[in-house]
Amino acid sequence: MGGLRDTLKEAVRQMAFRTSLSSLKKKGVQKVNVLGIDRIVALIEAAVHRSLKSRFVGDEREAVAAATKAEFLRLLRSNEDLQRQKSEWERQKEQAEDEIDQLRRDLAQQNQSLQLQLEQDALENASRYAGENAMIARKVADVMQALASSKGVSTKIAEERVMELVMDVISGERHDAEQARRALRDREVDNLQRRIKKLTDTLQQTEQRLQQVAATKNIEAGISSLYRDVQGVSSDDALAIKKTELMAEIFRANLELQKKSTNGA
Amino acid sequence: MSETKQTGDSPKKDHGVLYIGMDLGTSRTSVSASNGVRETIYSLVGYPKDVVSKKLLKKDVLFGKEALEKRLSLKLYKPLEKGVLKYTGDGNQDAEAKANLKAAQELIGEAIRVAKPRKDELVYCVIGAPAEASVKNREAIIEAARAHVDSVMLCSEPFAVAYGLDWLEDVLVIDIGAGTTDLCRMHGTMPEEADQVMFDVAGDAVDAELARRIEQTCPTAQFTIQMVKEIKERYGYVGDPQERCIVELPVQGKPTPFDLTEQIGQACSILIDPILRGIQKLVASFDPEFQQKLKSRVLLAGGGSMVKGLDSSIEKAMKDRLGGGKVVRIEEPVYGGANGALKVAHDMPAEFWEQLK
Repeated sequence: MGGLRDTLKEAVRQMAFRTSLSSLKKKGVQKVNVLGIDRIVALIEAAVHRSLKSRFVGDEREAVAAATKAEFLRLLRSNEDLQRQKSEWERQKEQAEDEIDQLRRDLAQQNQSLQLQLEQDALENASRYAGENAMIARKVADVMQALASSKGVSTKIAEERVMELVMDVISGERHDAEQARRALRDREVDNLQRRIKKLTDTLQQTEQRLQQVAATKNIEAGISSLYRDVQGVSSDDALAIKKTELMAEIFRANLELQKKSTNGA
Repeated sequence: MSETKQTGDSPKKDHGVLYIGMDLGTSRTSVSASNGVRETIYSLVGYPKDVVSKKLLKKDVLFGKEALEKRLSLKLYKPLEKGVLKYTGDGNQDAEAKANLKAAQELIGEAIRVAKPRKDELVYCVIGAPAEASVKNREAIIEAARAHVDSVMLCSEPFAVAYGLDWLEDVLVIDIGAGTTDLCRMHGTMPEEADQVMFDVAGDAVDAELARRIEQTCPTAQFTIQMVKEIKERYGYVGDPQERCIVELPVQGKPTPFDLTEQIGQACSILIDPILRGIQKLVASFDPEFQQKLKSRVLLAGGGSMVKGLDSSIEKAMKDRLGGGKVVRIEEPVYGGANGALKVAHDMPAEFWEQLK
């Protein structure tokens, strides 16, 4: 019995919600009546027992008490299931957040390496061209010296001709080499861009998943209603007949509104 | 398809029935539910202005107080005006009216969410709607709610207040909201048009009047209408002041105390005369044999009824103009409509709910 009392106490705690005095004041509440949890639990127990006592006898009472207890425990279990579900959503959200962090890091790393490679290529090209130019100049100078030693040819004309020849050859070579290098670089850049795009897509998908998980997480388990079935006007109510008529009038007005809405749609 | 309807994925709804009563107001929306939840939120909906604010706020839509606090980063909507949706349903309405309708639908969804319904329970909701709401307006409210509940009904707001207190016969309800003040006499049946009086001297009109008076008497003070509203909610009174209303308002950036006692009293007093005229109209057109009873059963409800001394001031004015009367302020003005709607939901028979699913 003590176990049930503790469980009942825990259930009352779970169903209660916290509020502050200032928020109650804002809602227009000036005074509150305070009722301790032990007293609430005792009242529930007393009410259940009194009700059972007045309505049932002997075995029947025991059977109803057992069924009520079983139903109460079933409701608690279902609440626990919902709590578990909520924890699972939270776990998924954390996992998705970790994935996003990892993807962001990868993306930053890939961008950095692409930038580095492009800078390195530019530097290599510049130094390579400078070396080639110096070598060509040396060769031309050698040829010029050889021509200068032979008679009958103007040095200037000879220099121009040699230069034309050399530059023609070299520019052809450079063009081919540049094309080859460009193709190679384009392939690398293309690869990196594809990887970046893939990572960006994955990041977007994961973020979307995270949003969905976050949205689902907001749907809390909820708080159970006091009622298991639809109630209706109590037959004990002194105004039962009047209230039943009023309910029928409200229903008729709503039914008419619904019909108008359906016809209009 | 409703997200709470039974689909292959959703749980079977066999754990109980949750009733929700809702008071959809111009300034506040209140809900009372049969799981003990009672909440009220400002009727404000905000959407991030741009991508930057969306990233910062981490939400697509904000409601109530949160929307008010972050209003500088939001496109803010107040979807109700003078008690009804800013949407009439005619084809000529502009994008702004449609955006207001969307905001109203999201607000109703949020109000139901704050009632914390369980997925495995049937949810039946009654919404208190103003009598003046058009058919299109009512349809829009019902459509918005249907996306979140299993069955929904509308009922007259003042009726819900009276029903919640079991005062069904010979009662005159005064519901002072932000946009409108509604008077409704109850005589055992559903109120008809002749039983109701509505005018727009209500909470917002008091705020505007108070702002005007502060501007006139304290020209250096800086304030917004929201600040004025908070001052009224904190100090609002009619009749003799119980305390001096000393309020700090910024002057050139420096908080400076101002005595606004007179201004607040005068601004709140604008409620009394139209209420008296409404009472007189409804009493005078009532069966003479029951007029005395009607005058002695006047219920004061709605957020505006929290103005201190309003009940006794109306009683005093009734004595002068109508030879007497008794005004009772309901215990929880903010939740009066929602509590009544909850009671209507509770008393509605199962077959009615089923037929409206």
